[in-house]
Amino acid sequence: MDIDDAAAHIPRLRRYARALVGDAARADDLVQDTLERACQKWALWRPPAAPADQVQAALRGWLLTLMHNLFANQWREAARERTIDWDEAPEPGHDPTPALGLRLDLERALALLAPQAREVLLLVAMEQYSYAETARMLGIPIGTVMSRLARAREQLRRLMEGEAPSRVALKAVK
Amino acid sequence: MSMNRPDETTLHAWVDGELAPERAAEVAQWLSAHPDEAARAAALQAQCAGLQALHAQVLDEPVPPRLRRALRRPPLQWRWPHALAAGMMLALGLGTGYGLGGAGHDASPPAAGALAQLPVFVREAAAAHAVYVPEQRHPVEVAAQQQAHLVQWLSKRLGVPLKVPTLDAQGFHLVGGRLLPGEAGQARAQFMYQDAAGERVTLYVSVLPQGKTTAAAPTAFQWTRDGSTLGFYWIDGRQGYAVSAALPRERLHVLAEAIYRQLG
Repeated sequence: MDIDDAAAHIPRLRRYARALVGDAARADDLVQDTLERACQKWALWRPPAAPADQVQAALRGWLLTLMHNLFANQWREAARERTIDWDEAPEPGHDPTPALGLRLDLERALALLAPQAREVLLLVAMEQYSYAETARMLGIPIGTVMSRLARAREQLRRLMEGEAPSRVALKAVK
Repeated sequence: MSMNRPDETTLHAWVDGELAPERAAEVAQWLSAHPDEAARAAALQAQCAGLQALHAQVLDEPVPPRLRRALRRPPLQWRWPHALAAGMMLALGLGTGYGLGGAGHDASPPAAGALAQLPVFVREAAAAHAVYVPEQRHPVEVAAQQQAHLVQWLSKRLGVPLKVPTLDAQGFHLVGGRLLPGEAGQARAQFMYQDAAGERVTLYVSVLPQGKTTAAAPTAFQWTRDGSTLGFYWIDGRQGYAVSAALPRERLHVLAEAIYRQLG
């Protein structure tokens, strides 16, 4: 098994990154950074002693973990400048999103979620990872996965149905 | 069999197939008797389906060549931000995780004595950082309010026109600067910056003696670590610069890049 095995995962990584960052070119930048990081860290990748398909799944998980780390660095930097904190606790009465009753399509609604919420939602719903695998990749407790997931879904639903979100701490609209 | 209303987390876990079969069956049964909640669960499933279909066309697109090439890169190479990559030859530093010694392994901390191999000005910079950053009453000799004087004075003493980069966009304001003694009685300059949280960054500027920098000497970007303090240094022409702070590497990188851009 060598680094070329990662090539098979590029399409999935691209789609995930696209949903994560929204913009196609920036998504490919993130994938490129991920692949380069994978090259650098290849010696640290430990394939499990398991059938080939499980090894490939583990490799994809490893790549997604690298991508998460890069993405987290990006939004930590960006967060200082232009986003509202994503608090784990519900925050009643604080709602930076316009209560315009606009129905947003899935892509645009997703872009309005906090990056942490988007990651959890995409790993579970789009990439079909279990809560435990998602928690491991993101380096957070499983309970946090579950609470973020429930909030993210509720926020997404409200945004798409044009309901004024009640206790939503969303990323500010650029 | 009857059960209580499943809580929110349980409902999501049911949608995601996270429940044990028996428990899942209980929830399914409960939902069959509660159409409103069943509709909510169906909406969650529909949302999942929507997310699974999102950007599905990307899966069938040809992989852009630059992504294929990314896997061909030598494992020890670091892709610097374009601003840096343009004019710089690369030499990777100590303790970066991408060190020279370790075929892709995270590098071990610099070996004892490694510090002695650093350029003199980098050691001076580390010492000056350690001494003045904790200073509460006199962190600088000349405060930022007299910036014009500060620049004029230090330029005169170092014998080169100095520029003081601004890091306001990165959240750091100039505190001021000071003159320091360097190797063989040469003058050095230290500029100090601080952010709202009181975190301090220093920029150390030295003019290297003639003859020490040959034309072949690469302008290299290197990392160094001294305890919790990270340093980032490079040589540009006859000037050596060192940026030091107890900050995460990515953050210091952003600052060093901003400084490099403004000095270049």
